[in-house]
Amino acid sequence: MALRYEYTVETEDLAKYYKMGVYIVKALDGVNLKIRRGEYVSIMGPSGAGKTTLFNMIGGLDRPTRGKVYIDEVDISKLDAYELAWLRARKIGYIFQTFNLIPVLSAMENVMLPMIFAGVRREERIRRARELLERVGLGERLYHRPTELSGGQQQRVAIARALANDPAIILADEPTGNLDLQTGLEIINLMRQLNKEKGVTIVTATHDLKMIDVSDRIIYLRDGKVERIETRAEIAVEAEEF
Amino acid sequence: MRKFYTLLTLNLGSQMTAEIGEIRLPVSEAFYISIQNVRRRFTRVAITTASVTLGIAFFVSLMMMASFQAQTGGTGIQPYMYWLLFISLLVCGVGITNSMLIAVAERYKEIGTYKCLGALDRHILEMFLIEAMLVGGIGGTSGYIIGLVAAIVYAFANPAVGITTAFSSLTQPNPAVPLAGTMPVALGLLLLGIGIAVLLSLIATLYPAYYAARLNPADALRYEI
Repeated sequence: MALRYEYTVETEDLAKYYKMGVYIVKALDGVNLKIRRGEYVSIMGPSGAGKTTLFNMIGGLDRPTRGKVYIDEVDISKLDAYELAWLRARKIGYIFQTFNLIPVLSAMENVMLPMIFAGVRREERIRRARELLERVGLGERLYHRPTELSGGQQQRVAIARALANDPAIILADEPTGNLDLQTGLEIINLMRQLNKEKGVTIVTATHDLKMIDVSDRIIYLRDGKVERIETRAEIAVEAEEF
Repeated sequence: MRKFYTLLTLNLGSQMTAEIGEIRLPVSEAFYISIQNVRRRFTRVAITTASVTLGIAFFVSLMMMASFQAQTGGTGIQPYMYWLLFISLLVCGVGITNSMLIAVAERYKEIGTYKCLGALDRHILEMFLIEAMLVGGIGGTSGYIIGLVAAIVYAFANPAVGITTAFSSLTQPNPAVPLAGTMPVALGLLLLGIGIAVLLSLIATLYPAYYAARLNPADALRYEI
């Protein structure tokens, strides 16, 4: 159905400045990135390096001060509110550190929500939500509400929800930040498996070193600029040297 | 804007334009989410509803007592009562606005999440306004019941009125009741009470809901309680 583009995400001289009183904080300052379809990319860097700002820009959640973001070769700064909403619903899946499930809805209803916005038929919504929740290992917990689920389980629901409309890209902001070591590892492995299985591009902003093992590329941000980019081959070589 | 974009993408030979589809939230689904919000956030909703309940109970009991008095040759509905009612409903409206603003602040993150999943501003507005209608409906009904009970207790305790006069006047129309003067007082005030409650709740929620709908998703998500 959808056309296949070589690059899922491209940024061109992307910058975002915030005004803090008389100071101007350069959260992002001229970032150029090209992320290929099906890639698993981690964005790393100390806090305040601009990871979350980059996440917001790529996700169409905030407007850049300067520069461009292309998702599937469409410049998203040219989209109006309606088209942006469509893009968020259909093209992008979001995963957050704090899970951000809707607390009053069950796991099934949370996964069905983006499909409602996308206009998917009810029977199809139910079938697909069940299938996705079973895939992430929550087949037994379909009708539980977020408060009745553990952190790891909530993040699994969030992953299922992010995949609901078969997006081109999944953006994950510190997906393991609120999870213990073992659970975090399970979530990382699940994301990697889904990345391989469904060919969905995954971009994570993270502090978590466990993420390095599964990433195809790692982008290091510092002070709003790309410090360096490492591919997996390079990292493997480095690891051997030690 | 849309037209410009279409031209642009056609020139680039992209098919994205053809792909841009519809975004929607059917009213039935918005209603379901709002009902879940009312059920699951019971304490918050109960506080908002209490404000509506008190306002409507005051209105209903005042109108009923005046109707009883009119039948026993008393003063009936006096002009100053409208002023009292206006002030009481105003206070009640401010209470709802206040409570709804807190409800919005509590749900910043949730609103940001809805927007990430594809919600438009008007969908957020719709969810809050449906919730306001539910609060108005529940508050109006409970206010009516409390007002009715208060009026009957008043009639019972006041020898000049008496319970028989109270019941006969409740089943007869009282032309002095605004908008519902041709209906039996008990029915007219039920409809009027719920109507005022829903309207009041909607008007009072308009600003908080508009504020919530306009939130930028990135800011809404950043918000920590």
